[in-house]
Amino acid sequence: MAEDTQQTGQDSTDAKRPGVDRKLLEFLVCPVTHATLRYDAEAQELISDAAGLAYPIRDGIPIMLPEEARELKAD
Amino acid sequence: MTDPMQIFDPTALARNRSGASRRVRSGNTHAEFLFEEVADRLLDRLDDVARPFAAALELDARRGIVAAGLRDRGRAETVIAADRDAGFAERCRHAGLPTVRAGHDFLPFAPGSFDLVTSCLALHWVNDLPGMLVRINRMLKPDGLFQAALFGGETLTELRACLMDAELEVTGGVSPRVSPMVDLRDAAGLLQRAGFALPVADVDRITVTYTSPFTLMAELRAMGEGNAIGERLRRPTRRAVFLHAAQLYADRHAGPDGRIPATFDVVFLHGWHPAESQPAPLRPGSAANRLADALDGKEASAGDSVPKKPN
Repeated sequence: MAEDTQQTGQDSTDAKRPGVDRKLLEFLVCPVTHATLRYDAEAQELISDAAGLAYPIRDGIPIMLPEEARELKAD
Repeated sequence: MTDPMQIFDPTALARNRSGASRRVRSGNTHAEFLFEEVADRLLDRLDDVARPFAAALELDARRGIVAAGLRDRGRAETVIAADRDAGFAERCRHAGLPTVRAGHDFLPFAPGSFDLVTSCLALHWVNDLPGMLVRINRMLKPDGLFQAALFGGETLTELRACLMDAELEVTGGVSPRVSPMVDLRDAAGLLQRAGFALPVADVDRITVTYTSPFTLMAELRAMGEGNAIGERLRRPTRRAVFLHAAQLYADRHAGPDGRIPATFDVVFLHGWHPAESQPAPLRPGSAANRLADALDGKEASAGDSVPKKPN
């Protein structure tokens, strides 16, 4: 059935976690506001301050779906 | 209630595609042959475009065949694969493509990002195709190319008619089972309306034969192309409907070998983001030479009667 998704990307910076393609990040904007995104390498998230959303990056794949994004608390 | 403006049900579509990606991930790519065939045709058409593409995007990339082909043929420096489905996105990433999960309504790309946007057999599931084409056009650089293939025209016309007739005879009513299809003239018009320059739409007919209508329907489901129409019948269809439809299909279409044909019309869309370097007609009234001079004739003003030639 489902195969192991633990393969490592060539551009991996962390042996356990396939890294996101840096070139890819240059193309991405927030799908809701079209504003530029901040890349949080530690949390593996792309943050849209304008929309108050953090889009997760899993296995090197940015998930640019508003319904899967984490809502940032305004404080 | 389903939204009447939404022909297709996004939840059903996501479920269908996720079923297809699970099958592909388990190594069963048998039902993928139409996608492979049309991806090849798209790539061959792109080979006819002389210049290379610096940045390219494949939407609804599935396994990323077109994207990987562009990369492997040396046609594009950077090729990004986008697919909403987690399983397909994983396949693209596995193929070494920079991959992003993205849907149709919210595209995460800046305006003027790409020299090429392509899509293979997916846009027939978009609810708002005119809006989608506008969004695609916006992502292109000036003189960037949009080239895509989608099912349209007479696709599954045999199945549509047989299911409709069978359901009407058996239950006394009909429910939508085969998607409405875009026709060629509509397609060209949509490209123009979305602001593409030099828009072209053409169609390739691919006829596939199957051992029975049941094999055809099973294969459509395996492709993730099962019924996702919002107004589809939500309760199970009576078996008698399918049995009668299969009988009608065989009676009307079966060849001497007993196999039944299914029509797939693949509509190819082709348009450019406008740029000043593109050939364009001159503005009316901007002519620098008189037509009368070119014809070596005498000019008469509009409304005047043409003087009779003396005999």
